[in-house]
Amino acid sequence: MIGFASAITVPTLAPEPIFSIFGLPITNSMFWGVLSSIIVVGFFTYVMRRSTVKPKSRLAFAVENLVDYMLDISIQNFGDRKKAMKFFPLLFTLFCLILFSNLSSLIPGIGTVNIGYQGVHVPLLRAFTLDLNATLAMAVFVNVLVQIAAFRELGVKKHLEHYFTNKPWNPMNIGLGLIEVFSELIRNVTLSMRLFGVMYAGEVLIRVFGIIGGDIGWLTMLPTYLLEVFFCLIQAYVFMVLSLVYLSMGTHNEDAHTEDEDHSLAANKPIVEAVRD
Amino acid sequence: MHLDPTFIKGLTIGLGAIGPAIGVGLIGAATVRSVGRNPEAQGKVLSTALVMAGLVDAVLAFVLLIVFTTS
Repeated sequence: MIGFASAITVPTLAPEPIFSIFGLPITNSMFWGVLSSIIVVGFFTYVMRRSTVKPKSRLAFAVENLVDYMLDISIQNFGDRKKAMKFFPLLFTLFCLILFSNLSSLIPGIGTVNIGYQGVHVPLLRAFTLDLNATLAMAVFVNVLVQIAAFRELGVKKHLEHYFTNKPWNPMNIGLGLIEVFSELIRNVTLSMRLFGVMYAGEVLIRVFGIIGGDIGWLTMLPTYLLEVFFCLIQAYVFMVLSLVYLSMGTHNEDAHTEDEDHSLAANKPIVEAVRD
Repeated sequence: MHLDPTFIKGLTIGLGAIGPAIGVGLIGAATVRSVGRNPEAQGKVLSTALVMAGLVDAVLAFVLLIVFTTS
């Protein structure tokens, strides 16, 4: 039933079902997604227990540094510690889950251990981010959260003014507002396709280099493999930073910052302006 | 006129790689220049540059995605 793949094959675009519960097909990416989220939660629970005021555990100290670094980035982008603390848990969770899922596609055995289901041999495990459904779900979640947070932070009137300005009867403003709304909707596509495209293309690239290499496939795979480790890190970081920028742009209240001139906000304006697409 | 699909695939990768290559080159040049001008800001500049590189590389990933998924 469970066996190794006999040859290098290019992964299919869609994840394959491996078993079904009450008629609902469970795909391999869903299966590994649940397992990887359990692993990530377990890892952080372990680190949390080891974490002390006077650092004794090296692992806990390293993870604390990572959390500190990410928190610094989000405080700089939000320009406000309280607001950053509100959204930071979500952003860091997204980062960790995406990073683990991305890197897990490089572990030997994931994508190469096959299982028979309904007469076909399909991979037992598939990285969570190697599935467009997963990345689209995360992107839609982030964008819905941006809208909810903006409505709660600014109120309905001010948030709509952000799109249509305070003179909505002007046809020019209506046109520009519709373009703004469209660009918000297109974010779902770009955010999900970026992560999925890079992960899928990377996975296929490794396999293709393995096929081209023939007998020395292990050697030709190696540079692509190392490049892929880099891309996994970058894409997880990019997803987190883009969510952060969308959140900070959506909930940015121009009146609130007039009295306290925050230096960190001024210092980080370029990244917010530059990423705005 | 009949064109070999493999030829078109190769051409797609080649042409699609031009844009991202220029983009990554511009990012690298700008990063090196700004770090040379202001070495204390290296960490901040580098993290922004890596985000930008990730954004630009996604274009090449789309090209590869299209090439590998069409038979």
